[in-house]
Amino acid sequence: MPLLKKMLAQLGVEDERVRLDWVSASEGDRFASIVNEMTAQIKALGPFHRNNGG
Amino acid sequence: MTKLKLALYWASSCGGCEIAVLDTNEKILDVVAIADIVLWPVAVDFKYHHIEAMPDSAIDVCLFNGAIRSSEHEKVAKLLRAKSKVMAAFGSCACFGGIPSLGNLTNRAEIFHTVYEEAPSNENPSRTVPKTATTVDGHHLELPETYDTVMTLEQVVPVEYFIPGCPPTVDLILKVVSALANNSLPPPGTVIASDKSLCEECYRKKEDKKITRVWRPHQIVPDPEKCLLEQGVICCGPATRGGCGALCIKANMPCEGCFGPPAGVLDQGAKLVSAIASIYQASGEEDVSRMLDEIVDPVGRFYRFGLAHSLLRRKRMTPPGTLSAAKQPLAEVTAR
Amino acid sequence: MNKVTIDPITRLEGHGKIEIFLNDEGGVENAYLQIPELRGFERFCEGRPVEEMPRITERICGV
Repeated sequence: MPLLKKMLAQLGVEDERVRLDWVSASEGDRFASIVNEMTAQIKALGPFHRNNGG
Repeated sequence: MTKLKLALYWASSCGGCEIAVLDTNEKILDVVAIADIVLWPVAVDFKYHHIEAMPDSAIDVCLFNGAIRSSEHEKVAKLLRAKSKVMAAFGSCACFGGIPSLGNLTNRAEIFHTVYEEAPSNENPSRTVPKTATTVDGHHLELPETYDTVMTLEQVVPVEYFIPGCPPTVDLILKVVSALANNSLPPPGTVIASDKSLCEECYRKKEDKKITRVWRPHQIVPDPEKCLLEQGVICCGPATRGGCGALCIKANMPCEGCFGPPAGVLDQGAKLVSAIASIYQASGEEDVSRMLDEIVDPVGRFYRFGLAHSLLRRKRMTPPGTLSAAKQPLAEVTAR
Repeated sequence: MNKVTIDPITRLEGHGKIEIFLNDEGGVENAYLQIPELRGFERFCEGRPVEEMPRITERICGV
């Protein structure tokens, strides 16, 4: 993960756009809160805008 | 037997693919025996207007090398596509972007600034940079537009075949020539090399894939019998298509990834991150931090030849026409 | 005004276009050699580790 983030940083992808978490099937509440957190984080960052046109 | 009409063209290329064709030495005569070359700027004098005058699909095969980085490259790619029955992306640049696609880590404004304004060997007091049109002494002149982003051939026109390599090996080229001569080309969409990764072709002894440090090539002299990855040298073999005969490995150098991803791998760089990270034994923050210091410039190493072909294709751009907010300092990626 | 365009120039490494502008008498008034390509090696080499330089710069020209 840290290696991926280092490479993505070189490509201009913010650290906050990638997250790795482990959630078991019985941790429903935790799953929901992680997803909500991540959603809020991404929304705050705004659209990705790849700029891959020629 | 009517001869095939063959076109060879170079876009954002170094000429190495042309030389690779010439490296077939006397076998070039086999090519000439079966084909009439109707375009090959490095070797014959046909011009764009000759191609424009041809009817559509008049050319049997077009071997197109070089990446697409300007409006002229795109225009000629589309012209040749219209005039050719079969279009082959020849070489790593046309297949994946190649070394020029490292230009996707920057953009036109930054490149112009470095090349025409900052370069120490330049004398450019008026800070002139290329424009697409200008008038000099009453004469109107035009230049193609340099794009911000380098593209692969397939990203601008449909392509039937892919012949990877930087440059493609002579064996591979002869395979293509013989398939043409015998009318036995594989199904369209084929990458003419091996479908498997280089590791399966590599002769080195493979034991336990576990490393505790990564060495840069100048830091150790690798043992020529053992797997390079197992010795801590970053070798792109696991995520690179085979078919090249492991030439670099035979020279005791790691694979650079020029044949692109093997069949079934969508993004070569991502696969390499996964491969390297999975063999590195790290049991805590310190180990991870050390690994990050040792793996210098991941983007350059893992996407060396294929940035244009990757899922992200390029580094995100700051607003067009401006220099990047903080020009990336050299210290940031070379660590230590 | 007449113009002769040679595009592309051939039998050398690299891309080029020559435009020759003729005067009314048919003589050459001015000629321009234009280079329509730039790959930007000078820029994208910055930030790469030193051991990559032989690998990258050798792709400037394959001849």
